[in-house]
Amino acid sequence: MSHEVLRDIENCMDSGWTDGLPVIPPYASLVDPMLEAMGWEASDVIGEIPDQKIRVRAEQAAATAVMAGCRTEYGPLLRALSQALLDPLFNVSGVEVTTGGASVLVIVSGPIVERLGFEHEANAFGANNRANATVGRFAQMMRFFCGKGGGVLKSHGTIGHPGRISFCIAEHPVTAWGPYHTQFGLPAEASAVSIVATEGPNSCNNHYGSTGEAILRTIADCMAHYGQTAWYYRSGGFVVAIPPDHMDLVGREFSREAARQFLHDHARRQTDDLLRLGRIPATPIAYAEVEWGAPRSPLRDLQQLSFIECGAPGGRFSAVVPRWVGGQHVICRRIDQD
Amino acid sequence: MSQKTPEGIPARQLTSCGDVSCEWLVNPIPRPEPDPISISLKPKVPRVTFVDHRKPNSKAILTLAQRILRDRGVEVADEVLDKGDASMPMPAAMLARLAGNPGLVVCGVSD
Repeated sequence: MSHEVLRDIENCMDSGWTDGLPVIPPYASLVDPMLEAMGWEASDVIGEIPDQKIRVRAEQAAATAVMAGCRTEYGPLLRALSQALLDPLFNVSGVEVTTGGASVLVIVSGPIVERLGFEHEANAFGANNRANATVGRFAQMMRFFCGKGGGVLKSHGTIGHPGRISFCIAEHPVTAWGPYHTQFGLPAEASAVSIVATEGPNSCNNHYGSTGEAILRTIADCMAHYGQTAWYYRSGGFVVAIPPDHMDLVGREFSREAARQFLHDHARRQTDDLLRLGRIPATPIAYAEVEWGAPRSPLRDLQQLSFIECGAPGGRFSAVVPRWVGGQHVICRRIDQD
Repeated sequence: MSQKTPEGIPARQLTSCGDVSCEWLVNPIPRPEPDPISISLKPKVPRVTFVDHRKPNSKAILTLAQRILRDRGVEVADEVLDKGDASMPMPAAMLARLAGNPGLVVCGVSD
């Protein structure tokens, strides 16, 4: 690498063209092939944030992909991911500026996982692997670059989490319950990218349980700790990741739908205790639908809970990822050309 | 050399110049077109309107503020307006209506 390139990297860092880490400078000679790989012309408008009077052009997404270190082979995936990020239902500006410190969790599923070399086993939530790291970084950079009103808005995350740098997980090519995207109406044979605004993941350990029910009870307890965010509004949800050793037990006893119902029924706390600890107010608004005296679920409905199968065999951990309470949608897009 | 503006807004354009030629770097950051709305911190009339965004304690604090201001002789709108959801932008019609308000508009308080 020449000193001129190092100087350009420093220039990007000093000029606000960065997520905090060094970037590949978005030279036009690198952005053009990325645009072609994403199937767009430079001036194509690929999304709008009307409240901020912002229109996002394709060249900006392609420049971001270059800066994040993505390969052009990721183009069709990045196209679908860009469209998901700019879907008004995702509310990218809200994700960027919220006190909740949310990140964009990217979930890749289907045949594209192996074709592009995503890590779906060891350290699935933090894989030191180019596809996971750069695609996850691309999503966070798009959030950061597009969600701040051109730099005029301030991010208010109270504590945030490391996923705001990169947070991309990929699903096993073969699953017990079917691919992740089938939970959102796509056919099993498709490749897909899904995004959801989330807090950081909670590890959920159970090394001695010998039944699927014991594993799910542990996960339910993790979903229902007093500090989790969703007790009042209940408008977020959870992504639950179940690796192979836990899935061997859970899959024998539960279908995906039955597991969802089990967690909905068992992840609960007494409303009076939630009030006593200050997790819900004494005079709640009607939207919160508080039923005094009843065990309260952090879920409004079953569809706020989705499952992904990923992670390495040999350890008996699962993970619970709480969704941002302001994000009421998982955006799932099919990846064309795959 | 840093090209960031004094307000901390990212640079609009960067170039990479070698010994004999220069290359544009493609700006990744979209900007408002036209410029974002301006906010005046000096109301034309001494009247306060509160907008609740449903964050925890927001309504309670706004209602208390309403009472304190009244006790001090400041005119305050009776109704605390409801924005609906803190995580979502204000509805366009509400924003347009409030933009024409010559007094001070206070929208929500965090947590």
